[in-house]
Amino acid sequence: MCSLPRRIIKETQRLMQEPVPGISAVPDDNNARYFHVIVTGPEDSPFEGGLFKLELFLPEDYPMSAPKVRFITKIYHPNIDRLGRICLDILKDKWSPALQIRTVLLSIQALLSAPNPDDPLANDVAELWKVNEAEAIRNAKEWTRRYAMDN
Amino acid sequence: MSGQGESDMDYSDDEAGYGDYYAEADTYDLEQVDISKSDPEYFEFECLSVEEVERLLNESVEMLSNSLKILSIKDLNIYEKVCNNNKLLSGCTQITPALAKVLLHTHKWAIQEVTDKYRSDSQALLVESQIEPRPESSTSHRRQQRSLRSNSNVPLICAVCVEATNEGYFRLACGHSFCSLCWVMHFQVQISQGVSTGITCMAPGCEVLATEDFALKIITLPDLRKKYQQFTFQDYVKSHPQLRFCPGPNCQVIVRAKLPKAKKCFCQSCKTAFCFNCGIDYHAPTDCVTVKKWLTKCADDSETANYISAHTKDCPKCHICIEKNGGCNHMQCYSCKHDFCWMCLGDWKTHGSEYYECSRYKDNPNIANESAHAQAREALKKYLHYYERWENHSKSLKLEEQHFKKVSKKITGKVMNSGSGTWIDWQYLLDASNLLAKCRYTLQYTYPYAYYMEPSSRKELFEYQQASLEAEIENLSWKIERAESTDRGDLENQMDVAEKRRLTLLKDFLNV
Ligand SMILES: [Zn+2]
Ligand SMILES: [Zn+2]
Ligand SMILES: [Zn+2]
Ligand SMILES: [Zn+2]
Ligand SMILES: [Zn+2]
Ligand SMILES: [Zn+2]
Repeated sequence: MCSLPRRIIKETQRLMQEPVPGISAVPDDNNARYFHVIVTGPEDSPFEGGLFKLELFLPEDYPMSAPKVRFITKIYHPNIDRLGRICLDILKDKWSPALQIRTVLLSIQALLSAPNPDDPLANDVAELWKVNEAEAIRNAKEWTRRYAMDN
Repeated sequence: MSGQGESDMDYSDDEAGYGDYYAEADTYDLEQVDISKSDPEYFEFECLSVEEVERLLNESVEMLSNSLKILSIKDLNIYEKVCNNNKLLSGCTQITPALAKVLLHTHKWAIQEVTDKYRSDSQALLVESQIEPRPESSTSHRRQQRSLRSNSNVPLICAVCVEATNEGYFRLACGHSFCSLCWVMHFQVQISQGVSTGITCMAPGCEVLATEDFALKIITLPDLRKKYQQFTFQDYVKSHPQLRFCPGPNCQVIVRAKLPKAKKCFCQSCKTAFCFNCGIDYHAPTDCVTVKKWLTKCADDSETANYISAHTKDCPKCHICIEKNGGCNHMQCYSCKHDFCWMCLGDWKTHGSEYYECSRYKDNPNIANESAHAQAREALKKYLHYYERWENHSKSLKLEEQHFKKVSKKITGKVMNSGSGTWIDWQYLLDASNLLAKCRYTLQYTYPYAYYMEPSSRKELFEYQQASLEAEIENLSWKIERAESTDRGDLENQMDVAEKRRLTLLKDFLNV
């Protein structure tokens, strides 16, 4: 494996030394570009009490290209689809090479606190979120309990 | 000969005299009146090479930077008279050719519009064109940069690679500095994704565009430079309302029309013909939006419509199976000699002369009161009516092209071997085939037009003209297929009538 850019080493060091509250990101033993991520469901959100597993990968041309991030734990959210893919502008056209893993994870945490059904990825979820928010939140809580609480 | 076409329009009896008067006047002035008025499809365009277009674009850039230079000097004079302050001088962005290019690209190459905007508020123009940052975001960063710079003993740290070095930093008008290595990689990744004129600064949320001279200062790899220049050129042509890339495969030609319209142009190099406005196959009298809607619908519904593309039908009289192998829709049963229409299977005798009912779709007047199911069935029936005719004329075009090739071969044989006539003698038959193709092509594109028309007297007029055109086209096709037994004068007369019908329809309904 070729040597890791200083930028990635620095970011990893900082993530370990001063972790973001509620988020843990640990590089894989065999691949320093692959991170095992756990995000705690934010307080006062339907995801509260849940632990959500994600995977994060830094592509070859990182930081010129955005990291690839995906939810592994099933989650009921209008901006996250069945495959765990996330609709987040900074992971797409609003990516900037000066953004970091830390900023990405913080944005994902913020997305859990404030779902945005007007820019949906999972259309059926977004639809319900707009038409009947109470029921959508009930579903999200139910999924959190079922998929994100045991272990 | 020229009066004949007009007299065919006798259905508007009340205005016949009026119409005749103009018909007469037209004939006499034909030489003087410019063809743009007499030919509804007239369109001026030229085919240019990449080098010629580059020259053209550079001329615009030069013109703009010159006129802005004069403007800013004038501004400066006024400003100095009003108040003795050199703030303007220092804050004023010099409009380099590279900046002028960004301004033109973001304003569809409208020099006048850019000049006017510059005159009324140059700062707003530079922000809007993503040359300067938005005022609220810029100040903090600029201050930050300045404070970093003032302390020149401490090496700068590039925010992207977090390496510290004191040289090789580059920044755009926003002031966000990054090291040259990071810039190079940024350009590499963006260009590999096909982005060129749209590459922005690397700072989060910063929308300032990388200008061409900035990019070329950073990119030193010859291959990458070449790619970047190719991509920006493509973007410039696409943003220029007077320019279109020829859609022909691997063709480099760029067509230019000084008065862009949705009209037919063709590439002199690869011979591809297309609509200048939308770049797909020419489609008069249907407009660009409608034809696109129609083509999408046909692609979506191709399954449903497939069953009608059969090549065989039964003779309506003796029920023997008949295969269609020519383009003409006037069929004659080889067994019982019954003349009928391939499209509607009606008797041809009542078809050609009387009011032509075949092309017109008869809406069910009570459809609004029917069930949803019946309405859906009616909608499909209506679509299939138009689709069937659209598809049929497209097939006829192909069959007639095959026939044309056969005729050309036959003529060669006649001239070369049996010495019956010269090339010039037979030219009329080739002309007739070309004209037939042109007429049928227009006829094909009348069907999407009619499909999307609301029922109205205008639609009735359209369908009347469509039907007349259709009748004359089938007559022409019938005569061409039997050219050896048809009188040449008769054929030429038929050509004239068909083309007049086509032009009449286009004059009345082609709105571009
Ligand atoms: Zn750097
Ligand atoms: Zn910037
Ligand atoms: Zn071409
Ligand atoms: Zn068009
Ligand atoms: Zn028959
Ligand atoms: Zn018919």
